[in-house]
Amino acid sequence: MNETVQEQGPGFFAEEMTISVGPQHPSTHGVLRFVVKTDGEVINEAIPDVGYLHRSIEKIGEKVTWHGYVPYTDRADYLAAMFANQAFCLAAEKLAGTEVTRRGEFCRVIACELNRIASHLISVGTFGQDIGAMTPFVHALRERETINNLMEEICGARLTYNYIRIGGVGYDIVPGTCSRIVEFLDHFEPIVDEFNRLLSGNKIFIERLAGVAVVSKEDALSYNLVGPNLRGSGIKWDIRRDIPYSIYPELDFEVPVGTAQVGVLGDSFDRYWVRICELQESCKILRQCLKMMPKGPAIAKVPRKFRPPVGERYARVEAPRGDMGFYVVSDGSEYPYRVRIRTGSFTAMAIIDKLSKGIMVADLIALIGSLDVDAPEIDR
Amino acid sequence: MQSYIDELIQQGYFTGAPKEVVYAAAMVLIALVVLSVFVAPLAGVTSWLERRVWARMQSRVGPNRVGPQGILQWVADGIKNLLKEDLIPSAADAKLFSLAPYVVFMGFLCTFVVIPFGSQLIVADLNIGILYILAVTSLVVVGILMAGWASNNKWSLLGGMRSAAQIVSYEIPAGVAVLTIVFLAGTLSMQGIIEAQGWAPWDWFLFNNPFTFATFFLYFTAALAEGNRTPFDIPEAESELVAGYVTEYSGMRFLFFFFAEWGNLYVIGAVATTLFLGGWQVAPLAIFEGNPVLLNVAQFITFFLKAYFWVFVAMWVRATLPRVRVDQLMALCWKYMVPLSFLCLMGTIGFMFMPKDIQRIVSAAMFGLGVALVIIFFMRVVFQIRHAKPELYFKPHI
Amino acid sequence: MTVTSYVRDITDTVKSVFEGMSITFSHLARRPMTIQYPDKIPVPIQETLPLRYRGILEVDMDICTGCLACERDCPITCITIGIEMDKETKQRQFTHFDIDVCKCMYCGLCSEACPTGAIRHSQEFEGASYNPAGLVRHFVPQPQPLYKPKKGGETEPKLVAKVDIGLKYLDEFATPDGGGGVEEK
Repeated sequence: MNETVQEQGPGFFAEEMTISVGPQHPSTHGVLRFVVKTDGEVINEAIPDVGYLHRSIEKIGEKVTWHGYVPYTDRADYLAAMFANQAFCLAAEKLAGTEVTRRGEFCRVIACELNRIASHLISVGTFGQDIGAMTPFVHALRERETINNLMEEICGARLTYNYIRIGGVGYDIVPGTCSRIVEFLDHFEPIVDEFNRLLSGNKIFIERLAGVAVVSKEDALSYNLVGPNLRGSGIKWDIRRDIPYSIYPELDFEVPVGTAQVGVLGDSFDRYWVRICELQESCKILRQCLKMMPKGPAIAKVPRKFRPPVGERYARVEAPRGDMGFYVVSDGSEYPYRVRIRTGSFTAMAIIDKLSKGIMVADLIALIGSLDVDAPEIDR
Repeated sequence: MQSYIDELIQQGYFTGAPKEVVYAAAMVLIALVVLSVFVAPLAGVTSWLERRVWARMQSRVGPNRVGPQGILQWVADGIKNLLKEDLIPSAADAKLFSLAPYVVFMGFLCTFVVIPFGSQLIVADLNIGILYILAVTSLVVVGILMAGWASNNKWSLLGGMRSAAQIVSYEIPAGVAVLTIVFLAGTLSMQGIIEAQGWAPWDWFLFNNPFTFATFFLYFTAALAEGNRTPFDIPEAESELVAGYVTEYSGMRFLFFFFAEWGNLYVIGAVATTLFLGGWQVAPLAIFEGNPVLLNVAQFITFFLKAYFWVFVAMWVRATLPRVRVDQLMALCWKYMVPLSFLCLMGTIGFMFMPKDIQRIVSAAMFGLGVALVIIFFMRVVFQIRHAKPELYFKPHI
Repeated sequence: MTVTSYVRDITDTVKSVFEGMSITFSHLARRPMTIQYPDKIPVPIQETLPLRYRGILEVDMDICTGCLACERDCPITCITIGIEMDKETKQRQFTHFDIDVCKCMYCGLCSEACPTGAIRHSQEFEGASYNPAGLVRHFVPQPQPLYKPKKGGETEPKLVAKVDIGLKYLDEFATPDGGGGVEEK
């Protein structure tokens, strides 16, 4: 154990402790470890140590068929499984030149936005739990249970969906489910307001987060942050708007950005507030999709033995944790040659060391929660 | 109590034993009775109630299987913890490690000697009653520091030191709040403070003047901080320091810390009731004339309900609020609560010099303000329910 | 720190605490959403799950044609099928059809590939077992012949119902010609 003695004044010495936050820790959002050098309260250095949840998903891509790999993509980030499915299927469709049916696109967007709501609910709920408020966490999970029930009706599974397939979706959404989604949205939008009144408006919560771990615009760009972390620093960049895919160009929604409403632009509260606003935007998108949904087949004709031509493609989607990208290389056989997953949480780990100099241990927990890092995404 | 034992000695019991031995034996017996019959079930049932109250506030159910509605859950927890392996980390200081939970427990248990359950139901009406409580609850700091140090774990040490700083700092607003009431009542004795108030709400010290109204909330907040309850539960912050100073504890020792915490909730409620809410005072109804047993029972029930209401409020606050960071906690204490508590002290002293009828008008106005606040609160609750449109279910059991 | 910001801090705190406490108090009057499974519920949970629910795999061997499509499509190789030629009857028959339930990742690719809907996900989700052997399900207790689907639909009465169940399960999947359970249930 390295314990360096620092001089803090004439004749006054303090020892620096090296403590390990994790890998078994109630609030590091999965199996993460930080080696923290602190003098008791103020952190001098926090070095992330990742790899505890590595399951070699990318290597598995070389061993299973294109269709068979889609369930594995669910596990790349199990809280936002639809998006990984969609990114991989987009990349495969780009390679083969498959056109997704229109109804299939609408089904995809509905499922993805429901999943976005579920993922953000977990994110803000666990964030509140880390700060100490245990009730909003359970309220968020209560709403997520309804979403899980809806996903169960749509595709039969509650967490790892294997719903979005190459060429469309695996199961069609029946009108009964559509009306239940609308019921859920009618119930959910006042609940978000209540959640804000309980947690976001709480002065103690605001004081914990205002001005903590500020990420400036330059830092956000140079450290390659994505998603709500980037938008919380004031940069309006959303893949759905700027590199549009699927039917997003036809939908009307805002891209929320941080506005320094309680502290400094780019602090933890801004990132949290962007997620809350995205919850409300997803509700808007869902309502539009449910109104505009056309009739037709939900999946295009794709051969059972999918053999895309030789080539490489990169597809990116706006996942709840940022820009998730799949780079696939095909050698013409029915197994991919290489699958590479790029996730937002992995790059967010890089900025933790820079931000954690000079903050307290409690703020480190708030920082990790506000960046919404997710261990399965980091380690894949 | 002492007079009663003197009577028994005069009547011929306990001959052949010196008086001091009889007193000592009586005290040990009373302590055992109070501990096993009152404190242990109270702390246990408080833990069960806390879990049920939190659960309903979070749209869940809480423990409802062990015994009717789960009321024996604490017995099951206690038995489970007793049967666990007695684990002392090898590098830990074993003597201090084993002793720490008992020091913390003693710190809160000794307060029960002066808690006035009724006009005759007090173990010892010390004439320094409230000062004794303030002094004895400080023993808890020693126990927590022992636990943090003896665990030989950096997390525990951090938790122990934070907790010690917190408790010692919040003694000051709590002490000044108590001092405000002592000025009003003119005595430190618990029964004396209660007797200086009346049975009617407008005669309570809570509504006496605006400064005591503010003092009550200052006292309650400071007492929550001393009891390591949210929003001030940094020492046991599970999401930050695993479990703070109790990280290395397991089994019954672990439970003793929490035993002390839940029991301490009741002490906070009891002291708040004594100082601010008129204690055991009941309306002088005709059925109490010449029936001291009924009167004492009524007083006991009144006191218990008033004190337990504040236990419920402490649980409710824990379910609602996030945690305050340790430097913000210190800032809250020294920059906000200490000046405000001194301000309230000065205000109360100034108020005591005003003519009696102005005092009465102000008390009545404060009572009206209190009622108005309660009404506004319930209107807000109705707004929340109407806004969220949930399925209503009023029964406490499920 | 000015006097106004000091006073504003205090009033903001009091107001937000008041609001938060009114919300948690209002929850005391709401129905908890806990389903007290498994004993305090009106119907068993399995009956409330939709047909699409991807529970533990089950195989109806009477309508399994032995095409091995499920074994090929499974991405995690949890299905093992053995087919042999029976010397006397010169018919092909199953020797074993094992599904390793703890390897299965409940993706549904096998049931989608099945032409008759013999292998499908049931509504069962309680798969805990006291020994590892219990986690491998064997669907062929003794060798049985393969199913030969008849042109023009099944006529044998015992198998008609089974074939219908299998086809109804397959209807849930989306198909390129517009099928996939679009009708309201």
